[in-house]
Amino acid sequence: MLTYSLKRLAQLFVTVLGVVTLVFFTMRMIPGDPISAMAGDNLSGVALDKMREQIGLNEPILMQYLHYLGGLAVLDFGNTVTTKLPIIQLILDALPITVAIATGTIVLTVLIAIPLGTVAAYMAHKGHKMLDNAVTGFAMVLDLMPSFWTSLVCLLIFSLALGWFPASGTVSLNDPAGLLHRIALPVLVLSMAQVATMARITRTSVLEVLSEDYVRTARSMGWSELRVLFRHALKNAALPIVTVIGLSFGNLLNGTVIVEFIFTLPGIGNLLVGGINSRDYQMVQTLILFYALIFVVINFATDLGYRVFDPRVQF
Amino acid sequence: MTQETLALSARSLPRLNWPRFRGAGRLLANGHIRLALAILVPIVLLTIFRPVLPLPGPLDTDLRAMMQPPSLEHLFGTDRMGRDLLSRTLAGVQISMFVGFAVALVALSFGLIMGTLAGFFGGVIDRVMMAITDIFLAFPSLLLAIGLVSVMGTGMLPVVLAISLSDVPRFIRLQRSLVLSLRTRAYIDAARTVKASQFWLMTRHIVPNTIAPLLVATSIAAANAILVEAGLSFLGLGIMPPAPSLGNLIRDGQSYLEQAWWISTLPGVVILLIALGLHFLSDGIRQVLDPRSRK
Repeated sequence: MLTYSLKRLAQLFVTVLGVVTLVFFTMRMIPGDPISAMAGDNLSGVALDKMREQIGLNEPILMQYLHYLGGLAVLDFGNTVTTKLPIIQLILDALPITVAIATGTIVLTVLIAIPLGTVAAYMAHKGHKMLDNAVTGFAMVLDLMPSFWTSLVCLLIFSLALGWFPASGTVSLNDPAGLLHRIALPVLVLSMAQVATMARITRTSVLEVLSEDYVRTARSMGWSELRVLFRHALKNAALPIVTVIGLSFGNLLNGTVIVEFIFTLPGIGNLLVGGINSRDYQMVQTLILFYALIFVVINFATDLGYRVFDPRVQF
Repeated sequence: MTQETLALSARSLPRLNWPRFRGAGRLLANGHIRLALAILVPIVLLTIFRPVLPLPGPLDTDLRAMMQPPSLEHLFGTDRMGRDLLSRTLAGVQISMFVGFAVALVALSFGLIMGTLAGFFGGVIDRVMMAITDIFLAFPSLLLAIGLVSVMGTGMLPVVLAISLSDVPRFIRLQRSLVLSLRTRAYIDAARTVKASQFWLMTRHIVPNTIAPLLVATSIAAANAILVEAGLSFLGLGIMPPAPSLGNLIRDGQSYLEQAWWISTLPGVVILLIALGLHFLSDGIRQVLDPRSRK
């Protein structure tokens, strides 16, 4: 177990290093000059050179790379070009919002998808194909709705027409109730996209388990269907479901960018879009690195989590 | 027509000698595929024949008819410059379908070739390929596309490249795993005993047996590409106005959500329909071509 973890950690490190290098060189290999893009038509000649020097773009590219790596090693991600604030500070300020949205989404998704999938599996097991197909079909449609469209439709219905939720406004972690009210719609939208996949995996997994011998034994012992379903079937079906929860984090990283943009929430997704629109390459670079890191770490944690859920899993 | 009569009449179609075409009748008999075609064919036809339909052009503004709700004259309503939304939606569908098709084609070809090489030859090639795909798979597709577009700029080519870049590794992985599972089959060894070359083995034995799952994945990749492109255009990072893209149109309507709900909602319905159609298509292909799949 320990050797496996260490091996995977090493793999993780190599992957992240690869991502960092890829992002770094791609950003600098583009034709065109980011400095003039940022400065616009106002600066030229000496002023432009001075700006270049400030950011360190006048050095040979390998030196820049080494400088960058050196900075990363001491967790110095540089400053934004536009406001000269340390990037890491901006990211850390924005991260809690995104984490709140992500956590809320996963909680809501699990609360909806697992019962839904279990019911669908039960229907399929008993042979009610109509109901099973209906649930699965409904989940598929939810899955395919683009999240920005769903957001706007939800805005229309719940915010503008019914007035239940706000469409914009301040967000503060000091006000949990207000925060929940504010992120309720984005969380709803993101959950709708995740519920489908999770419900489908739950359904498949529970269906498989329902035809196992130990379920038959439990039934023959006279236990109620509910007890059979939830105490035995679900526990053994948990492993693929946990995998999907881990994987859906990746999809969440996609989704938060869009909902933060639409609902104007100051999370890291919004930072990314803002950074791209203002040609702030340092910011974009660091954020993409962050995203990759989060994604890789979650996958790693999911991998390790396998062992916890199924002691039979050998590495 | 019942399933059996349709299948029977399909069998009486002129048969082409290429073995794979005998499956065409079975393809059409499948319920999922029929549903998919029922959704996709009308949309594709409307898109292709849009120039000859009695609709205003997608770029024609009509300032006397701004922000009109859907009516008999403008079936989808108009936007704030008086442009007919249905016409713009169909033009957007054209662009989306092109992107979807292009991405699917690129992902399929690169994935097929590189995955087969990696799986068949193994060793260093395989390990290098896996390391590289690992790096790209470390990104959710929209983020990778955003990153690339921020570097390459907006427009059709960067968008296609950006989206394919996240699909190609997936296809390589898929093809590689398929090839690995086929490589040890008895018929490969049998072919080797009669001095079949590597190339022959790959093209005549392995690839035809991996086509079916690849086609399923291609259909889904196309649907995904359309959704990602719409997302990029919505964020202002894909196809730029005034060229209409489904994502563009939804973005246009965002500021007028209360006054003109149709600008944002209707193009989204079209995106949904196309994605649904492609998914049903992939489901159907999987059911028909994979002898081991159960319904």
